[in-house]
Formats: sequence, C-alpha cells, structure tokens
Amino acid sequence: MPFSSIRYAAFRNLVDAELDLAAERVFFVGENGQGKTNLLEALYYLAYGVSFRGQVDAEAVKRGAAEFSLSGRCSEALSDSPILSEEVFVSWAERVKTIKVQGKPVRDRKILVEKNPTIVFCHEDYSFAAGEPERRRFFFDQAAGLISLSYIDTLREYKRILRQRNAALREGRFDLLDLLDQQYVGRGIELMAARRRLQREFDDRFVLRFEAVSLLGREVRLRYRPSWSGEEGIAEILAKLAAKRSEETALGTSLSGPHRDRWSFAVGAENFAATASTGQLRLVSLTLRLVQAEYFTEMTGRLPLLLFDDVLLELDRSKRRRFLELIPPAGQAFFTFLPGEPWEEYRTDSTLVYEASDGRFAN
Amino acid sequence: MKALEEFVSLLTRLPGIGRKSALRVAYHLLRTDRAFAQALAERIAGLQDAIVFCSICGSYTETDPCPVCSSPARDRSVICAVEQPQDVVTIEGSREYRGLYHVLGGLISPLDGVGPEDLKIQSLIARIREGGVAEVVVATNPTVEGDTTALYLKRLLEATGVSVTRLATGMPVGGDLEYADRLTLARSFRGRTKL
Ligand SMILES: [Zn+2]
Repeated sequence: MPFSSIRYAAFRNLVDAELDLAAERVFFVGENGQGKTNLLEALYYLAYGVSFRGQVDAEAVKRGAAEFSLSGRCSEALSDSPILSEEVFVSWAERVKTIKVQGKPVRDRKILVEKNPTIVFCHEDYSFAAGEPERRRFFFDQAAGLISLSYIDTLREYKRILRQRNAALREGRFDLLDLLDQQYVGRGIELMAARRRLQREFDDRFVLRFEAVSLLGREVRLRYRPSWSGEEGIAEILAKLAAKRSEETALGTSLSGPHRDRWSFAVGAENFAATASTGQLRLVSLTLRLVQAEYFTEMTGRLPLLLFDDVLLELDRSKRRRFLELIPPAGQAFFTFLPGEPWEEYRTDSTLVYEASDGRFAN
Repeated sequence: MKALEEFVSLLTRLPGIGRKSALRVAYHLLRTDRAFAQALAERIAGLQDAIVFCSICGSYTETDPCPVCSSPARDRSVICAVEQPQDVVTIEGSREYRGLYHVLGGLISPLDGVGPEDLKIQSLIARIREGGVAEVVVATNPTVEGDTTALYLKRLLEATGVSVTRLATGMPVGGDLEYADRLTLARSFRGRTKL
C-alpha cells in the first residue's frame, strides 16, 4: 500500500521530520551520506520490520539517542481520503522492537509483509548473482514468501525441525531421529515443490528480461538443483537419510535437505557466474528483482512498493533506459539519485522530488 | 519508599508484567479498599495449598482425584494427552470433550534437552494397561515439538492396541491451544484424525 507520509525520530542520520510522500514516484537526490538510503531503509522498516542491510536494530538508532521510532501512513490508493489510511508504527527502545498497525501491536512480522509488500533493489543484491548459495536461497525464499504466507510458515517449521534434528544428532538421540526425519522430509518436500514451481515461473521471464537489457545474445537460464534430487518419494528420501545417519551423527549436523539446495545461472551447460563480468552480474541481480515484482503482481493481483537504492548508477546510459522501460507497475516507487545523474529525464508530472542534505529533505 | 520498590520488583517477576504495569497495580492497591487487598493477599498465599495436581491425570484440582477422573459420567475409553495442566481447563471450556485427560508435563525437544523420559509417558502407559482405553487423543499444540511428541506417542502406543488420534487442524498453524477459541476447539475435537 502506498505511503502518503512518513515520520521519523532519532533514525540514523535523519533530522527528525515528517515528509509528504503522496506521489506515484518519489525521488531523493543528493550526495552520498546525506540520508537518501537511510530514508529508504526507514520505509523498508515499515514494510518488513527489519533493516534491508541485514543490520541489527541497535545500529539504526541515531548516535547519542536511546531509541528510534518510525511511523507511516498508507492506504490502498494514493487518492484515498486520509480517513481510510492506516498508520504503521515501528520503534526500538530498551532493546525491544514494537510494531503496531493502527495502534494495535503486531505479533508476527509476516502480517506486516502482507500489508505492505515491498521489493528493494540495492547494492547488496549483487550477492544473489555472485555470492554464496545461501544468498540465492534467501532471495527465492523471500520471493516465495511474498506470494504465500504459508511458504513462510513451512520454511520456519523446516528450520525449527532442522535445529531439533541437529540437536538430536549431536546428542545421539536415535530414538527421536526417525520421528524428526518424518517431519523433516515432510516439510522439506513441500519446500522443494514450491521452489520447483518458482524456478519454472521465473526461468522464462528471467531469460527474456535479462536479454532485453543486456543484449548479450545468449540465453542465461535459471537452474534449481534440490539437495534431494535423485530421490522421488518420501520413502526414498527417508532411506537415504537412514543410510547417511552414522556420517551425520559423527558430524552432528544435517548434510542434506532444502537448506543445501542450489540455485544458479547457466549459459548452456556452463555456470554463468564463473565467466560473467561484474556489470553482467549486477544486471542478473536487478533482473531477479524485476521478475520478482512482476510475478508478485501476477500471482496476487496486487501492486508492490518498489525501492531503488542508487542501482541505476550501476548500468550504462543505454542499459539504464532499457531497464527503466521494464519496471513493472508499482503501487509506489522510490528512487535515490546522485546529483549528477540525469534524473530529470526520468521524472513525470506525478513525480515528487526531494533534495537530501545533512539528513534533511527539501522539495 | 522501600516497601513499594520491593513490591514492584516482585510483581515484575510475574509473566506479562513490566515495570509500568507493576507500578499501576501497586498504586491501585494503595488506593483500594483494605478488605479487597486483604482478600487478595490471602488468596495468593493460599493458592498453592488449595490447588494440587491430580494424582491420576496431573491436572490442577482442589480434590484428588480431580472431578474429571472421579466422575462416573465421563467416557473412560478416551484419554486426551495434553502438554500442561492449563490445557485441560481450556479444553473443558469447549464442552465438546467428555473423556479423560493425561498431562504430559512438557514436549519432546532435543534443543532444550527434553526427551521422552522427561515426560509423564510411563504413567500414561500404565493407565492404558489397566484396560478399558480404546483411544488416545493427542492435543499438543501444532508446533514442531508438538508434532514430534504426537508422533512419538503414536509409535509407542500402537503396541498397546489403542487407537491414537490428533486434534484436527482447525487451529491456526503455530496457534496456541490456550488462545484457540471455544468454537475452533470444539470443531477440532469432532474432526480429530487418526495418526
Ligand atoms: Zn485427574
């Protein structure tokens, strides 16, 4: 749901203020370190209850302050009367984070995710293309979770079972391992099925969009290789786990399962990441986000909020133009730009532009 | 004010009570009717003497055995296994269930170092061996640990010949038995499934 305004207090280097955001596109223009990205992070906090930089909440408190608070007003459409808008509130004080919607405490962050589905395009996404397998699993789990809250439940349960199973392996609780394996495989194959579906849905879209911007002339495809790939049914996976039990007990950890699934990008039989340039890998991560946004809308019929943190800078002028044309419809989009970028070219009549300086925003 | 400080610091050791609400309670008690404060103090002091664990099923009771265990009107062929004594109170509130109970006193969780040997499972088997029990309904919460415990009981109890069922998943996933409303609980009991 689009934000019509945001208010922040003691959040990073931002000077306490309330900003009007009632526009389809909002640009924050300024040099580095002036607060542009921090403002995007504040919006992300209101959408997910956490930082997109993967940092702990304490880091987001302004130096010298003890607590921060954020509050945003959002509604289904920007044209809605303010009476129909809802207030989302996030604060962190005395090591306790409080999340409220319309004054009522929210116990589970996933409620927030459903209210304000948000997709952020940022530098850190580069690791989806070039980083550890864990980073790609993170991306696809987030993409699946944004569409289905039950995927988030299944993933949480799987992770909990995994921890119980690892504890049982370490303690040598053979009497419990059979039971835990049943739960483990049950949730595991649910995750695998959802990930297989995601791969099918993402693959063609990804190929088309990546080519449309990169003009590489070769098909870059998305691959998914589940950890339990050779086995068909529950019984076969259980048998495999039983066969590996002594090895797992010796190491005290679970050696197979969806937490070891692999996602990769391939050109023919080759791993694309091994030969791709930095620019191409950046484009891979941006394209993943584009597909995520588009697929989200297709599956849910809703428009996400999009946050673009300096990412256009990573593309040359012609790629930038082609990329902008591919941005799917959004409930609202926020961009950060350096003063030297041709942001004037991208603005429309309904664009709100703020200049950032020293944690203050002026339009 | 030492007396106030001590009282507040004791109150904050109770679940769900922070310093702010403890202070509110303290100031309220200072203003309130003396007889009320006296009655409250007596109830607090006497609570652990008045309420004991039932020696058969392990639930809270004022008389041992508890009214459920000693009632001739209850269906003695069904035992409902729950995690903690307060779950019995919750399920009784639904008025859907007419059988007996058995409090396990926890859930299997290797992470917390809790194994089946830490739960009251042997006494459950002893009750089944006495005869007359046809079904055990496992009413643990639908969490990972609740599932593990249910699976464990199913495997163990199958050998005794009783049928082992689980509450139907009318309850929200990850939802607590304690917070389930009466209607949902009643539906869960009617729709229980064989494990
Ligand atoms: Zn009893």
